[in-house]
Amino acid sequence: MISGEPAPAGLVCRDLVVAPGGRVVLRRLALQIPAGTRTVVVGPSGAGKTTLLRAIAGLERPLEGEIWLRGRRLDTVAAHRRRVAVVFQEPRLLPHLDVVDNVAFGLRAAGVPRPARRAQALALLDEVGLAGLAGRRVDGLSGGEQQRVALARALCVKPDLLLLDEPLASVDPNRREGLRHLLVELQQARALTTLLITHDQSEAAQLGERVALLLEGTIVQHDTPRALFERPASAAVARFFGTRNLLRGQVRGGRLPLDAGWIDAPGPDGEATLAIRPERVRLDPDGPLRLRVVAASYAGTHVRLDLHGHGLTLEAHVPPAAAPRVGELVGVTLPRADLWRLPDPGSQAAERDLAERSTAGPADVPAEPAPLP
Amino acid sequence: MTIPTKRPRLPPAALHRSDRPAVRRLPIAVMLAPAVIALVLLFGGGLAGAVRQSLHPTIDGAGPLDLSAWTAVLGDPTFADALWFSLRTALAATGLSAAAAVAIAVALRRQAALPRFLVALPVPVPHLLVATVAVAWLGPGGLAERALGALPIQLVRDRAGLGIVLVYLYKETPFLVLLLLASMGAELTRREEAAAVLGATGWQRLRWVVWPTIRAPLATGSLIVAAFVLGAFEVPMAVGPSYPPTLATYAAEQPQLDLVAGQAKAAAALLVAAAASIALAAAAVRLSRDRAPCLSVAGLALCLRPVGLSTVGAGA
Repeated sequence: MISGEPAPAGLVCRDLVVAPGGRVVLRRLALQIPAGTRTVVVGPSGAGKTTLLRAIAGLERPLEGEIWLRGRRLDTVAAHRRRVAVVFQEPRLLPHLDVVDNVAFGLRAAGVPRPARRAQALALLDEVGLAGLAGRRVDGLSGGEQQRVALARALCVKPDLLLLDEPLASVDPNRREGLRHLLVELQQARALTTLLITHDQSEAAQLGERVALLLEGTIVQHDTPRALFERPASAAVARFFGTRNLLRGQVRGGRLPLDAGWIDAPGPDGEATLAIRPERVRLDPDGPLRLRVVAASYAGTHVRLDLHGHGLTLEAHVPPAAAPRVGELVGVTLPRADLWRLPDPGSQAAERDLAERSTAGPADVPAEPAPLP
Repeated sequence: MTIPTKRPRLPPAALHRSDRPAVRRLPIAVMLAPAVIALVLLFGGGLAGAVRQSLHPTIDGAGPLDLSAWTAVLGDPTFADALWFSLRTALAATGLSAAAAVAIAVALRRQAALPRFLVALPVPVPHLLVATVAVAWLGPGGLAERALGALPIQLVRDRAGLGIVLVYLYKETPFLVLLLLASMGAELTRREEAAAVLGATGWQRLRWVVWPTIRAPLATGSLIVAAFVLGAFEVPMAVGPSYPPTLATYAAEQPQLDLVAGQAKAAAALLVAAAASIALAAAAVRLSRDRAPCLSVAGLALCLRPVGLSTVGAGA
């Protein structure tokens, strides 16, 4: 266990073991978030996302490990002294207070006089687009409005770290984009170190400058959103981000022979697992693979095809206008440039690569965050 | 028809009405109407009967309006003592039960089901049984006196009404604890967590999060306890002093003391008790303004209940 040494700025979790209710959920979790950046922790239900957030906020006591924030050790400090604000999945507003007093709650706890705290709260309400609702009771607000009040309340205390637990989950789908933009604008304007939790890969990619995938209590990859989608560190990461096309075999002479044909493979000869995203699979009459369409389902922007033949199953996304019929035999090309060779899990290089990916440092953060769609 | 191509900037909150619940709140008067109608029909009738009876101090309740029963009751020093004694015991029993209930509920809120069950055990035990056991244990020559030789203070039939207060404390505290625990659910824990991460200390959370949540049920429960203590006569009869009586025992005695005007006097005394209960209800509503409309109806029903029952009892 590491201890005593000064931690770098931002949030650092080291060897975190947390067992709420006696069941170990986080298993020696390591996570490092540079100060002023926005990171999303994504993972399936039960992976430990909310437990991680609660441990950082001081609502769950770690069995082992350390949490540091801006060089200050947090895990030995009570929740109300951590300067870590949380926007929970449900807004958790106080129903006996009006909107402005809810926003000013943290300032009241800090002893700020009523006129000053109300002025600050009103300014924040203006920023989140709720200035007109300052005097309203919170139980009359919509889900989206309540969540914006909760966001304003969290920002009002000027925290060192902002944690958001599925902040869009209780919001009407039509309002999510507006709230997503608002979250990013407010975070960027304050250069506030921010950690968001979600189970939605697409939301993670849109909200995070960096994304950390949490599986079974451990961060398995921490990288840019694009890297997680296109350069997964393992088959599990690939599957979570929607790449179910995994091809295993022996690469010989730059080609991976399959029963259904062959494909050009990147990397050296030897045992390999290749991944390709379904939208990169090309239907090509002259392609080296001959597969049959066994299922097709319309998904709005594309048609999802299940292709099968000679023991090989692939998923492809094609434009609706170009979708073949079920039962049709099609030629398939897997472009070499779109194939990603998964690191060999046993190799030292892969382990070093994984370690680097799961504790991304300040140098890894892109200077220009990816623009939101 | 043109298709808008520019996406609007973040719209102001005033335009977010579409994601509100489709069913809007009904006016408060409409929501309360069923309760108010039941209250007026069931308890208003009893009250009107008591008023009528108090103004006709004859055996058959007929004859012209006559204020003599009111004059006799209000001029009776025993009635004044009974009123003061009743208010004092009701307020003491209610206040002590409420304070004990808050302390126990805060201590029990994170406990398992068994301690909660044990605390709730006295709730179904009849008041009269508790009072009888109290007499057997604590009365002169009772089990406690035999075991200890002598009790340092008189607890049964004492002039201060300590025995009455203790019986109600034993009976009503668990009732209030149950009410408070019901309001201290997971939602309160979640709000406390939200307050903690905003920097609120334990004491601040108790004052600003827990207390506003339990204030309304505590006020409602205390109102029920106070109204019950004011209107009930079995416990004062079992463990109370021979003098002063409570308002309920005073009213119960009147028909035996005065065969002609006794029922009118009893009705007048119980209407005073009802007025005291309504005053307590108003105070409770003020204490829990956030849920005042619900409380006022529930409170009025509970305040009037002992009057209606006691009037029937006195007239029987």
